[in-house]
Amino acid sequence: MSQEVSEEEWERVLWKRKPYPDNYVPRSFLSSLSRNPNFRPYTYGPLVLASCAISQHLAAIFIFLATFVRLKEHYLDPRVLVWISTLGFIVGYAVWELLLYGVDRKTRNESRSKTIKSSILVFLALMSLSPVLKTLTAATSSDSIWALSAFLFILNVLLADYTALALENYRREKLTSVLSINAAISSSVVLASRLPNDLSVFALVLFAVQSFAMFPILRRRLQSTDPLLQATLTAGACAFSIYATWALSRTVTYLFTFSYVFVLFLAPAILVWAQRFKNEIRGTWDPAVPRINETSLFS
Amino acid sequence: MHTMEAVRIAMVCDFFHPNVGGVENHIYMLSANLLRRGHKVVVITHSHPPDRVGVRWLLPSLKVYYIPFPAIASSATLPNFFTFLPYLRSIVLRENIQLIHAHASLSSLGHEGILHAHLMGVRTVFTDHSLFGFDDAASILTNKLLEATLRNVDAAICVSHTGRENTVLRARLRPSRVYVIPNAIIAEQFKPSPNTTATQTSNNITIVVLSRLAYRKGIDLLVATAPRICAKFPNVRFIVGGDGPKLIDILQMREKHLLQDRIEMLGPVRHSDAPKVLTRGSIFLNTSLTESFGIAILEAANAGLYVVSTRVGGVPEVLPPDMVSFANPDEDDVIRAMAEAIEIVSAGRHNPHRAHARVRGFYGWAEVAKRTEKVYQTVLETEPYDFWTRLQRTLDLGTFAGPIFVIILVVDCLFFAFLEWWIPEREIDKVQMYWNHQRFVELAHEYEEQQDASLCKDACDSN
Repeated sequence: MSQEVSEEEWERVLWKRKPYPDNYVPRSFLSSLSRNPNFRPYTYGPLVLASCAISQHLAAIFIFLATFVRLKEHYLDPRVLVWISTLGFIVGYAVWELLLYGVDRKTRNESRSKTIKSSILVFLALMSLSPVLKTLTAATSSDSIWALSAFLFILNVLLADYTALALENYRREKLTSVLSINAAISSSVVLASRLPNDLSVFALVLFAVQSFAMFPILRRRLQSTDPLLQATLTAGACAFSIYATWALSRTVTYLFTFSYVFVLFLAPAILVWAQRFKNEIRGTWDPAVPRINETSLFS
Repeated sequence: MHTMEAVRIAMVCDFFHPNVGGVENHIYMLSANLLRRGHKVVVITHSHPPDRVGVRWLLPSLKVYYIPFPAIASSATLPNFFTFLPYLRSIVLRENIQLIHAHASLSSLGHEGILHAHLMGVRTVFTDHSLFGFDDAASILTNKLLEATLRNVDAAICVSHTGRENTVLRARLRPSRVYVIPNAIIAEQFKPSPNTTATQTSNNITIVVLSRLAYRKGIDLLVATAPRICAKFPNVRFIVGGDGPKLIDILQMREKHLLQDRIEMLGPVRHSDAPKVLTRGSIFLNTSLTESFGIAILEAANAGLYVVSTRVGGVPEVLPPDMVSFANPDEDDVIRAMAEAIEIVSAGRHNPHRAHARVRGFYGWAEVAKRTEKVYQTVLETEPYDFWTRLQRTLDLGTFAGPIFVIILVVDCLFFAFLEWWIPEREIDKVQMYWNHQRFVELAHEYEEQQDASLCKDACDSN
């Protein structure tokens, strides 16, 4: 670097013959660099609220597992479970209708008849399939089934859609986490095949459909409502899952409790702490984002 | 003409003839001009079976080694840190190479060349041709790889000041080791058509767009603005050349707004046909979202077109402000800049021939070669890092990357020692070549005179 070249002569252009050397470092070098320009730090409270959805999902799985063990050990009459599932469906559907209150009537009536038709269809299909499902994995050892179902439930937790669905987007809803639902239902089916009689199998799979296919869809809609409702629902679900497990195994209960504490309180704290390492670099070399007027896109 | 002693240089890159593109062309033109300046240059790239294998010669006397590595994606070879060494060692020893010049940050051959060079006492220079972000997974990975490779490079060259800032940040280099040497063009290939007069005030204005039709080239902006420009200026036509995933968007836009007679689609245009397309228009529109240098706008300006471009990357550095109108990557602003350009051109305030003459003076390959030569000279004059410093610097890479690359460095040394034992240097034949540089320069000069004469004749005929 030759120092005798005055700074005034330097220009950020390539088309001029320049008196300074090619590796001259001007004072303005990297002046366009900005760090963390649009950075809005996460705060603890909203993160805890956002992680409620994950806890609810975990609670659904844990309650399901507790139910499975009770059925398997004959602590629970399968007929009671069928009634509980039916009741759950009716309550859930009422909440669903309540949330849909603002949407126009025609589509609502249409979807209502469709829902009733398909729910009866699912009910009958599961009932007729349960003898087949019972013997589905007769040739497989139980150990493989536990491992497989654990793997599938982990997959379900990882791939589930935890985003909230706001009221104005109801019409555009798509089934987002197909793989997640599939994993959970397969897991329930293989678990159900360990049960002693056809009715238990039917009850468990029905319960699985309620908690892994219906509940997540409802949960996404509830998520965009009142935070207090969220907190209550989460606390209720977690408490019930802990209560249901307590009688079966102490160790597992501690494990579940720890996972709730971790997801609800520790993980958000870690995320808030980890933000100090954020170092986002922006400059003129970044690809620009084209700004296009909405009207010309949708006209 | 000779300001320094002849240097024996190996250009190492995955991207070279028979592929076409900016980097390929850069390497070829730079090599040809270095040959002209009396240096010895060979190019090392991967083979293109079935016909581009082994050793080939390109005019004018550029030797190309095609290494039998298969290309995995977009003509790049699989990144691995060792397999290139046996080939490179043989070539370096046979050709008596002093300096390895690697190109392009996504070329794994180039990276490997820089890693192995120190084993044979060869110095290294690296040219970066593109800009990278910092925030996506691919960038993070390639940036770390680049940083590891450039840890011990002797000098780096970038094509624009923006590119230099980007490379310094990505590879954590000392800024004074990074040089800015722009790309260049062959001015003779891009000339304004002789029948466009200086003050052309004809009513019809043709806007040329010549680019790959992809998101990064800002085709969304083109699709949004073209109908509005056509509606606002009834005397304007578009010529769009190129191919790519966004072609369908342009076709849809044209159909929706019934602009079939206003927007002409040429489809893919060969680089050799680009001058012909450019000379049909008077304004060149570039809507790129990122661009390291923007050779396209330079070619357009050289062909006498007024340029409208988005203000991104290194583009603002390329041309003087009176030859180009800049816009932010924003629909309304592109239309504002285009209106400004149409006004300038229709008022006859832009002289194509003068523009050509000016650009011609700015960028030339001879100049690029001269400046690159100066980098080589500086590198060869400095002391190389010794092995211990190399090890230390590599270890400084990071908690995880440091030890990994130290292991690679050490294993590389062991591999080299094994090769020294297996194929000792004395058993390798040195390349003998009869080369009369004086005669070459004379021939080149003669050829250029012929070219000038024929061009002159064309010009006279057309007048």
